Amino acid sequence: MSCSTLPQWLSSKPSITQGFLFSFQNPFRLLPCISPPNGPFQSSLLVRCKLRELRQRIDSIKNTQKITEAMKLIAAAKVRRAQEAVINGRPFSNTLVEVLHSINEQLQDDGLSVPLTEVRAVKRVALVVITGDRGLCGSFNAGILKMAETRIAELTDLGLDCTVISVGKKGNSYFRRRSRAPVVSVDRFVEGGGRFPTAKEAQVIADDVFSLFVSEEVDKVELLYTKFVSFVESKTVIQTLLPLSMKGEVFDQNGNCVDAMEDELFRLTTKEGKLSVERDKVQLEKVEFSPFLEFEQDPAQILDALMPLYLNSQILRALQESLASELAARMSAMSNATDNAVELKKTLSLAYNRERQAKITGEILEIVAGADALSEQP
Amino acid sequence: MTLNLCVLTPNRIVWDSKVKEIILSTNSGQIGILPNHAPIATAVDIGILRIRLNDQWLTMALMGGFARIGNNEITVLVNDAEKGSDIEPQEAQQTLEIAEANLRKAEGKRQIIEANLALRRARTRVEAINVTS
Repeated sequence: MSCSTLPQWLSSKPSITQGFLFSFQNPFRLLPCISPPNGPFQSSLLVRCKLRELRQRIDSIKNTQKITEAMKLIAAAKVRRAQEAVINGRPFSNTLVEVLHSINEQLQDDGLSVPLTEVRAVKRVALVVITGDRGLCGSFNAGILKMAETRIAELTDLGLDCTVISVGKKGNSYFRRRSRAPVVSVDRFVEGGGRFPTAKEAQVIADDVFSLFVSEEVDKVELLYTKFVSFVESKTVIQTLLPLSMKGEVFDQNGNCVDAMEDELFRLTTKEGKLSVERDKVQLEKVEFSPFLEFEQDPAQILDALMPLYLNSQILRALQESLASELAARMSAMSNATDNAVELKKTLSLAYNRERQAKITGEILEIVAGADALSEQP
Repeated sequence: MTLNLCVLTPNRIVWDSKVKEIILSTNSGQIGILPNHAPIATAVDIGILRIRLNDQWLTMALMGGFARIGNNEITVLVNDAEKGSDIEPQEAQQTLEIAEANLRKAEGKRQIIEANLALRRARTRVEAINVTS
């Protein structure tokens, strides 16, 4: 800009150069000051303003880049911890599956009725929607909420009533604001509190779900969450939580088994200086335990005690998966943001340098023109 | 023969080492388990678990679950377990009072189920402290 406008200023307002040339050995310093002293200063400010604006933008982008970079690293570190949480829960879930399996084998023939496995005609469905507590993680929250909306619409079309148990701040604020038809009642808002999910949080949800189901307020409970597939991919899934199947398997809404017989374990590794994810398949080991197990209580009571545990561990697992997906989504979102910031910084620096060079060129032109004018005078 | 006790919660392993004797509150009352116990499977109530290490008794609050005993291995699967020494007495007492108040206020089948559960949990935690002291 200054390149094109400066020659015009030179011809129309010669005094303008004063502001520019002060720092040099000024050939004009003996000339009387024609314009008010702040006049040239203001116009030079006009030029600098563009430069300063650019510099400010570059600085602010630098800051943003630092923030996004840090957020990315934090998310990466947290994914690692989320992974540890999954590993810590493994002895429990493995033993549980194994016990449930062996007990089921022993009880195969008895026609037992356990409240949590009772299949009733479905009139009302509870949806447990697991979202994140924070934003800045790409389409993670939007994805799961969209899925919830679709499911609600589906159920309403089938003439079923539904109620929502919302987990996570983002989902909570969404369902609080939601005014779209069909109107759904929200049974409970649960907040994760931004920490790693523990059995306590899972317990709160499990208690709620349990009492809803046992008191026959709902006849089916579905869990909507984001399954962690890899760092760049996660999948929103609907899983039927209640009624539990006696075999200890979990089914999706179409009755297909979604229970992983091969337990998957994801691991974060560094490959050639870059973070990458490895997903191992861990075959569940079936340890033969004493086959002649005596039941202290009625088998129904024992199953009664086991089923809530299973319910709880399912919910906990969903929470953990969801958190891992959220962190992975944030990581990639922040990585993209950092890339964009770098790109933008580069473009702006180029513009800034060009501008600065143009200004310098303009100044030199003025000096030369001024010197020429002086030498022609005598 | 030594007895190995393993208390597992969904989050972590709370206890995994040798013990002399335990007293477990099951759905059908308390049972004591010594080495070479017959293999049994039992439902564990919300209640306290007492562990004997040599001459020392430890208490743990268990929040309901399941136990399997056999081969001198005890596996206890519970939703949550807290050592009596780790529980804050005042906090536990307060929780108990809140739970009691909630039960009195509770209306309808569902709220009563919830309040009862909460009350039993709170009571167990208080018990776990009082036994140790």
